[in-house]
Amino acid sequence: MKGPVAWWNDPWRPPRFLVAITAGYLAWSLLPVLIAVAYSFNNGRSRTTWQGFSFRWYWGDNSLSVWHNAALHTALLQTIKLGVIATLITVPLGTLFAIGIDRWRGRLPAGANFLMLLSFVLPEVLLAVALLFVITTVAVPVQLGTTAQVIGLVTFQVSYPAVLVRARLATIGPQYEEAAMDLGASPLGALRRIILPMLIPAIFASTVLVFADVIDDFVLVRYLSGNAATEPVSVKIYNTARAAPTPALNALATLLLLAALTAVVVGFLVYRYMTRADTTTKDRGIGAFAGEV
Amino acid sequence: MAVPVVSAPSRAAPPPRERRSRLWAALAAPGIIWLAAFFIFPLYVVLCIVFGQVDPIFRTPVPVWNPLQWDPTQFTYVLTHIVGPHGVFGPAILRTFIFVLVASCVCLLIAFPVAYYVARLSGRRKGLLLALLIAPFWISYMMRMFAWVNLLQDDGLFNKVLRIGGLFDPRVNWLTGQPVVVILGLVYGYVPYMILPLYAGLDRLSQPMLEASRDLGADRISSFWRVTLPLCRPTIVAAVLLTCLPMLGDYFTSDMLSASPKTAMVGNLINDSVQSPGQTGQAGAFVMLVFLAALLPMLYYIRVTSRRDEVAA
Amino acid sequence: MPEPTTRRQFLARAAILAAAAPTLGSFIAACSKSGQPSSSAPPTLTIAAPDHPVKWDIPADNKPIADGLAPEKGATLQLYNYADYLSPDAVKSFEEKYNTKVQISTFNDTDEALTKIRGGNVDYDLYFPSYDQISKLVSGGLARPINHSYIPNIKNVWPSFTNPWYDQEWRFSAPNFIYTTGIGWRNDQVPENIGALPNPYDSLWDPKYKGKTAIIDDWHTAMAMVLLRAGKTDVNTSSDADLKLIGDQLNALVAATSPKVTITMYSDLPAGQIGLCQMWSGDIINSALSYMPEGVSPDVLRYWFPADGKGLVDNDLLIMLRSGKNPVLAHLFINHLLDPDVAQQNFAQTGYQPPQNSINPESLVSSGFIPPNLAAAVVKPEYFDAGYRLLELDPANDAAWHNVWRAFKAGGGA
Repeated sequence: MKGPVAWWNDPWRPPRFLVAITAGYLAWSLLPVLIAVAYSFNNGRSRTTWQGFSFRWYWGDNSLSVWHNAALHTALLQTIKLGVIATLITVPLGTLFAIGIDRWRGRLPAGANFLMLLSFVLPEVLLAVALLFVITTVAVPVQLGTTAQVIGLVTFQVSYPAVLVRARLATIGPQYEEAAMDLGASPLGALRRIILPMLIPAIFASTVLVFADVIDDFVLVRYLSGNAATEPVSVKIYNTARAAPTPALNALATLLLLAALTAVVVGFLVYRYMTRADTTTKDRGIGAFAGEV
Repeated sequence: MAVPVVSAPSRAAPPPRERRSRLWAALAAPGIIWLAAFFIFPLYVVLCIVFGQVDPIFRTPVPVWNPLQWDPTQFTYVLTHIVGPHGVFGPAILRTFIFVLVASCVCLLIAFPVAYYVARLSGRRKGLLLALLIAPFWISYMMRMFAWVNLLQDDGLFNKVLRIGGLFDPRVNWLTGQPVVVILGLVYGYVPYMILPLYAGLDRLSQPMLEASRDLGADRISSFWRVTLPLCRPTIVAAVLLTCLPMLGDYFTSDMLSASPKTAMVGNLINDSVQSPGQTGQAGAFVMLVFLAALLPMLYYIRVTSRRDEVAA
Repeated sequence: MPEPTTRRQFLARAAILAAAAPTLGSFIAACSKSGQPSSSAPPTLTIAAPDHPVKWDIPADNKPIADGLAPEKGATLQLYNYADYLSPDAVKSFEEKYNTKVQISTFNDTDEALTKIRGGNVDYDLYFPSYDQISKLVSGGLARPINHSYIPNIKNVWPSFTNPWYDQEWRFSAPNFIYTTGIGWRNDQVPENIGALPNPYDSLWDPKYKGKTAIIDDWHTAMAMVLLRAGKTDVNTSSDADLKLIGDQLNALVAATSPKVTITMYSDLPAGQIGLCQMWSGDIINSALSYMPEGVSPDVLRYWFPADGKGLVDNDLLIMLRSGKNPVLAHLFINHLLDPDVAQQNFAQTGYQPPQNSINPESLVSSGFIPPNLAAAVVKPEYFDAGYRLLELDPANDAAWHNVWRAFKAGGGA
C-alpha cells in the first residue's frame, strides 16, 4: 500500500481536481431540476414542503391538474406545435443556406454568412422587439400569434443547422464531390447523391437541437404571442411563477422535459441506424451526434 | 482547370464554374431572402421607430419611413439620460456590463475545467458525461430558473440547509434585489452554452503536441499555461462571445430572481419601455445600443479569424 | 480571396444606397399600417374627474348592437384581465349557462394592455381597466357602447354606478370591483402596529424592514402613495416640483429598504416572502381567504387604510372592446358578473368587493366572511366621498409621470 503522500503525488493519478469540479458542476446543474421534478409529485399545494407522493397535479386534481386544466393543455399543444413547425422550416432552410454559402465565393455570401453568425449571438430580445415593431406598424399579412412566433423562431434558429452543416462540410472536404463529378455526375447530382447522405448526422443533430431549443424558447414567443391560446409553456411558467404557482407547473415542465428527451433519444437512435455503414464519422457515439466532428 | 473545348459555340452553356456558382447561389437564396426579410428589415423598422414620431394622444410610436425625415429627439433623449445630471439609464447600463463580465468570467472558470476533463480525460465515460452536459439544453430555461426560485424562497431548501448546517440563522431574503443571486442565476443559465463550444474545441487539440511539452520537461502547470492555453485561445474567445453576447439582452433572470429595481439590466429597460406609452422609441434606442455593443466584438472576431485563415492559407 | 473594396466602389455603393433609401422609404410607407381605428380622435383628451363629469358621445359608426340578439354560437369569449382577478367558478357557470367557451388572456399592467389593444392585432371581447384609461379607449374608438337591455342586473349595483362621473349614463362601462389602497403586513414578521404610527406610509421607508417590503408595480398607485406620505393630496398633480419630490423619495426608498416591485402581494405576503407592503384591499382579503399556507392562520395578517377615507379609493370597470367578435356574449357576461350570487362568488375567490346592494359592508365582518383583523379592508361607501382617485392624466403629464417611474425602475440615481 502506498502512503498518502505517494498517493497524492502518483504520476498516474486520475485528475482528481477536475473530476471534483465536473461532479460538482453536474450536481449543481441538475439537482435543482430533479428537485423540481420531484415536487411535481407532491401531494399538497406547496412546492417547498414535501407532503406525500401523488399524481394529483398530473391528472388527479379536478380543476388544477395538467390533465384537467384547459389553459395548460393549450400551452403544451402550442409548444409542441411551435416546435414541430419551426424545426420543419429551419432545418432545410439552414442546410441549403450552409451548402450554398460554403461553396459560393464572393462578398455577398461572406456578408450573408456574417449575418447568420450575428443572428446566432445577438440577444433574443433585440430580434423579438424588432419583429414586434414590424408586425404592429407595417401592414404585413401576419398577426401576432403562431405565425409570427414561427417566423421569429426560424430567424433566430436558422444559424444552428447552418453552422453544424458547414462544420461537417469542412470535415468531408471536396474530394468525394470531385470524384463524383469526374465520373460524370452533375454538381446537383453529386450534391444529392453523395453529399446530402453524408450530411445526415449533422442535419439530424441540428434537427434535435433546434427542436429542443424552440420548445423552451421564451423571449420571442412572449413578445409575439397574441392571446392566451398562443402562449406556450415557457410563458405560462413565467406568468404563473410570479403569482401563485402550484405544483401543476412543475408537472407541466416535467412533461415538456419528457417530450424533449424523447425527441433526442429517438433522434439519436435514428442517427445510429442511419450511420451504421458510414465510415466518415469517427465514432458513432453521442459526440458525433452532438455535431462535433 | 482545363475544360476540353469541343466545337461548341460560345453561347451554348456558361462555363461549368459559373454554372456551379449559380447553383450555390440558388441554394443559398431562400436563406438569404429570409434573413433579409426577417432580420435586416425589422432592424430598419426599429430605426424608423426610434427616429420617428409619437402619437400625441395615445403616445404609441409612429414610424417614419423616409430617412430624410427622421427626427432624432427620442434617440438623443436616451443618450442624454445616460450620464450627467439626468443620468437615469447609466447605472442600469453599467450594471449590465458588470454583471455580464462577472458572469462570463465565472462561467469560464467553471466551464473550462469541466470541458477539459470531459473532452480529454474522461475516457470511457465521455458519452455519458456529454449527455449530462447537454441535458440542460433540453430542460426549459424557465423551469431551471423556476427551480431556483423554489429553492431560494424564504422557506425553501436552500435556507433549510443553511439552518441545519446549524449555527446560522440566515435572515437573508435571497429573492429580493440581491445582485449576487442574479449573477449566479445568469451563470447557471448560460454556462451550458459555454461548455459545448469549449468541449468541441478542446476535443480537437492535438494530443501529441501536449504530450511533447511534457516530454520536454515542463510540469503540468507550465505545460498548461504555455502550450494548452494558447492553443485553445480561439476556442475560448468564440465560447465567451457565444455566452456573453446573448447575456446582454437578458431580463427575465432579474425579473424572476429579484423583481427589484436594484438589479435592473438593459434588458429590463427594454422590456419595461417597449409597450409603455411614449417610451417605445426609447426602447428602440436601447435595442440599437445593445445591437452595437454586440456587433462590434463580432466584427472584431470575424476580422481576427479571417486574418488568421489568410495566414494559414 | 476577394479583392478589397476600392474607395471608388465603396462611394458608388454608398451613393446608390443613399439614393434608394427615400424611395424605399416611400414604398414601405405605402405598406405601412394606416393605423388603428378612428383617426377622428380629438387633438386633446377629455379628462373626467368627480367634479367634472363626462358623458361620452356615441359616434355614428360605433352604435350599440341591436336588442334581442341571440348569443353567438360555437364562439370563445375572449377576456383580457389581470391574472387571478376573476373567479374560475363564475367563468365556469357562464360557460355552462350559455354553452360557450371562455378564454382569459392576462396582462401585467394596463399600459401594456392598452398598447396591445391599440396595436389592433388582438380580438378581445371584454377588458378590465380602471377609469384612468376610459378617455383613451372611447376617443380612440376602441370601446364598444353598451346596449342596456342586455344587462338588467345593473339594478343590483350601487345606484351611483348607473351615472358615474367618468361615464354618465354608463354608456361604455359597467363597474367591476371597488377597492382601497393601503398597507398590509403580517404581525409575525412586523410586530409593530403600522396603523398606529403617526404616518403609516413611513414604515415602508424604515430601514429596519429592509428586504421584507414591497410596493405595487403600478406607476400611478406607487407614486401617489409617495405624495400622500408627503402630505400632498393632489395625486394627479402636474407640478414639476412634486414629480421631483416623488423621484427623490423613490430613490430614498430603494436605498432604505430595497423593496420588491410587484403585483403578487396576495401570494407573497402569506408565503412569508415579504412582511410589509403597499397593498390593495382585495389582495389582503384574498390572502386571508385563499393563500395562507397550511399551518398559518390568517390572524397574522393586518391591513391599514385611513379611517376617515382620506386615502386612495378607486373602482375598476368592465369595458367591451370593439375588436371583439362576440358582442352579445360580452354583454351577457357583464350581466352574469353583476348577478348577486356570482358577484359573491367573485368576491370570495378574488378577495375584491363588488359594489352590490346585497353586500352590506357593515355586516361583512360580523357574518364571518372577513376576519376581524382585516376589518379595515372593507370598502365603505363613505370612502368615495372623502378619498382621492387616480384619474387619467393628459398626455404631457402622463409622459412626465412615466419618466419618473421609469427612472425608478431602472434603478437609476444613486
